[in-house]
Amino acid sequence: MNMKILVVDDFSTMRRIIKNLLNDLGFANISEADDGNTALPVLQKGGFDFLVTDWNMPGMTGIELLKAVRADDKLNTLPVLMVTAEQKREQIVEAAEAGVNGYIVKPFTAQTLKEKIDKIFERIDA
Amino acid sequence: MLDDNQLITDDNVARAKDLLACLERGDEQGAREVLDELSRIRETELYKEMGKLTRELHDAISTFGMDHEIVNLAKDEIPDARSRLRYVIELTDDAANKTLTAVESSIPLCDNLSKDSTDLNEKWKRFIKRDMDVNEFRELSARIDKFLEDNSAGVTTLRTNLSDILLAQDFQDLTSQIIKRVIDLVQNVESNLVNLVKLTGAKVDLGEVQKGDGIKATGPAVPGVDQGVVSGQDEVDELLSSLGF
Repeated sequence: MNMKILVVDDFSTMRRIIKNLLNDLGFANISEADDGNTALPVLQKGGFDFLVTDWNMPGMTGIELLKAVRADDKLNTLPVLMVTAEQKREQIVEAAEAGVNGYIVKPFTAQTLKEKIDKIFERIDA
Repeated sequence: MLDDNQLITDDNVARAKDLLACLERGDEQGAREVLDELSRIRETELYKEMGKLTRELHDAISTFGMDHEIVNLAKDEIPDARSRLRYVIELTDDAANKTLTAVESSIPLCDNLSKDSTDLNEKWKRFIKRDMDVNEFRELSARIDKFLEDNSAGVTTLRTNLSDILLAQDFQDLTSQIIKRVIDLVQNVESNLVNLVKLTGAKVDLGEVQKGDGIKATGPAVPGVDQGVVSGQDEVDELLSSLGF
């Protein structure tokens, strides 16, 4: 699998954890960004197949990034997985309404990450 | 007024008579001395009153019962707690990075071990079944030789990495002690604030908590503290599937 993935989180340790877990799942082509403001221009340059983002970040938050991605003609079909500590019901509903493809709450397991990614791509392939 | 504050006393009458006598006989020096004495008496009274007011003011402040405590909290303990919490971030960040570095260095070692073992196992089985020519066997024995050498080095590195991971956990002891101190401080601030609010005469209703904005990012939910949150991934999945996901 040579899918190009962008991992967005303000904590470098969390980015490293997600990157290692994605490596274990066979994804090797991974880039990183530390908030929405740095992520969006990288995404707009093109070539990314999948976005994994945190919610709570300084600058542009993950939910704002998700909305910006869905509002961008070139990016609006990009699959987005949110991996976040935000777990209020209305937040999950808001993310769903904004068009998120999967929502994982921290702390999470490697198994959960695998399941959600599998599910996202099963739906896209179907 | 107390007796010693009274103006009409025998002493003062005597002083006034004295002053009059001095003035009448033209004794300027004597008159000045009597006047000086009278103003000295007057000043002493003034100082006594000021002293009394100061004491009353101090007593009033002391009845707050926490003047020093609040000053200390604001001046030292809260900035101190801020530095302590920053240190907690530093320690946990450091531990996470050490652990991740050790893991990232171990994963390729495990992958190589696993790949080489599978490969050699398959060849070794063929050798046992005598399904191997002499050239291939020579190559196999060289590879086994290298595998054993690499293994020994790899396992030593793995062992070191595991020790690093073990040692990196020492932050837990330190951070929990620091956080406990900060919890005590927060409790102290809380009770002082409640007392202050009570002093102003306002009603304190600790049961009523201002609700936050539901959509704003609030950070990790804490079990038993946050309302309206899901308890884990299963509830997230349920909620999303109820929304048609």
